[in-house]
Amino acid sequence: MDDPSWVDDVLLAGPSTDVCFRLPDPVDRGTLRRLVGEAQTRLAEAGLRPGGAAALRLPPSLAYVVNLLATWRSGAQAVLLDHRLTDHEVAQALERLTPQVVIAPVRSGGGALKIFVDVTEGVTAYSDRPAGSPHAVIQLSSGSTGPSKVIGRSAASLVAEVRRYTRIDGVALPGERIILLPSMVHVLGLVGGLLYGLHARVTLVPPDRLSGDAVLAAVAADDSPATVLGVPFHIGLLASTRPTGPLPQFRRMTTGGELVPPAVVAAFTDRFGATLGNMYGMTEVGVIGTDLHGRHRPAIAPAPGIEVRESSTGELWVSCPDSPYVGLSDPDRWADGWLHTRDAGTVDPDTGLVTVRGRLDSQVSVGGLKVDLTEVEATLTGLPGVGAAVVVYDNGITAYVQPDGPTSEEALETLLAERLAGYKRPRVLRLLDRLPRTTTGKLVRSTEALRAATP
Amino acid sequence: MSGQPELGRADLLTMLAEMTGKPADEVPDRVGSMELAWLVHMVEQRHDRRLDLTDDQLAGIRTVDDAVAVFRACLSVPADG
Repeated sequence: MDDPSWVDDVLLAGPSTDVCFRLPDPVDRGTLRRLVGEAQTRLAEAGLRPGGAAALRLPPSLAYVVNLLATWRSGAQAVLLDHRLTDHEVAQALERLTPQVVIAPVRSGGGALKIFVDVTEGVTAYSDRPAGSPHAVIQLSSGSTGPSKVIGRSAASLVAEVRRYTRIDGVALPGERIILLPSMVHVLGLVGGLLYGLHARVTLVPPDRLSGDAVLAAVAADDSPATVLGVPFHIGLLASTRPTGPLPQFRRMTTGGELVPPAVVAAFTDRFGATLGNMYGMTEVGVIGTDLHGRHRPAIAPAPGIEVRESSTGELWVSCPDSPYVGLSDPDRWADGWLHTRDAGTVDPDTGLVTVRGRLDSQVSVGGLKVDLTEVEATLTGLPGVGAAVVVYDNGITAYVQPDGPTSEEALETLLAERLAGYKRPRVLRLLDRLPRTTTGKLVRSTEALRAATP
Repeated sequence: MSGQPELGRADLLTMLAEMTGKPADEVPDRVGSMELAWLVHMVEQRHDRRLDLTDDQLAGIRTVDDAVAVFRACLSVPADG
């Protein structure tokens, strides 16, 4: 494990009176440092040792931020578990990653529409093993082979990404604010929001709740320039609000995830006069490229220090010194310092601009969260009463099931709800007497054929 | 009262169609967290008031019909102020 001094040097340095968060009450740097110190004591008492791991199963909250920093400052690894994962998914992850402690809410207030939740956390001992890898952070990504992929990043990789952000033109500057919408468990909210904000002395402001009006209220709450960080869904929320007064401090909105249609861009910029920027990144390496001024749409410029090349098969490869995968050696995913993104794309030989053309595998994005349809299909196929299943993306995750015993859509939904986080579950689930197959008996995956086979 | 006609299933399907960009008759019946956030936002805009839904009410919304029932119940209570 790396020397923990990076937490103080890169994230917590600065005047005590700096406001790090508005929740909406201000949390200053001095208070944050005190809370982190207190949390370190609690983690140590529960059994966390330098070189061990702590699993955080917390919704976005001050408790999450404090325990994450406290884990790192203890010289330990943080295993980030999205709070939307089911008990089943969490149990599988803990079994593989054997953290020394698990941090989870004992009480939380808020609800489905809250962006930041008021949490009282509890720490429980889990194992006495050291961390399984030297990484500072472990994140889970929906896996193509069923269980989630384990992705690790070193402290050096996180620090390098934070410094990369400081060299990108168009990010929030010291003294400005980031209106934070994406989850801090995932790379955009974690590094682009939380870690960059702490480092660059940008105040992080989660809106009171997930609505267009609440986002605009957060922007309007202060005169300092504001950058809204989110995913394309959030643009729709903002664009559908009723116009009130001008918001000159609303400088820009930056989204990760899928590309935004030109009509949406035009509607947004007409309405707010703010710049709509776009980012491309992956859990494995963080931000890869940006178009924060909307000048290159749909292309992006590689971030400083990042090299992108086009493989002979048209796949985008990104420079990444070490393999980010834990317990997995797959030269199709990482080899010789290059991460194989599984995104099809092109790199302009003259300008170096990168255009992403879509996935080469079964991964889809649901509100900015990556879901591998193979994981959904494998889970569904493993349920009692399911003979075969095909899961496709047809304006949403759509499942077709051929039963081999007594079951119903409701019964399958209930079983899936125990095994898969909500954002991974099918929006549409249909039972068919027979799934369409090719003449050689393979399941057909064309959305048209599946629709046509549905009574 | 807001003077708006009572909220119906067709209204919510139209709102979801606007979000997903597909015809209202192709909108899935299941409501996830994003759809729910969108519906609350749109209903608040239409009725020009905030919906103060409890955690239990929100957690109980799994389909468009669930959402109609919960929103109607909430709108039948006069808004504060």
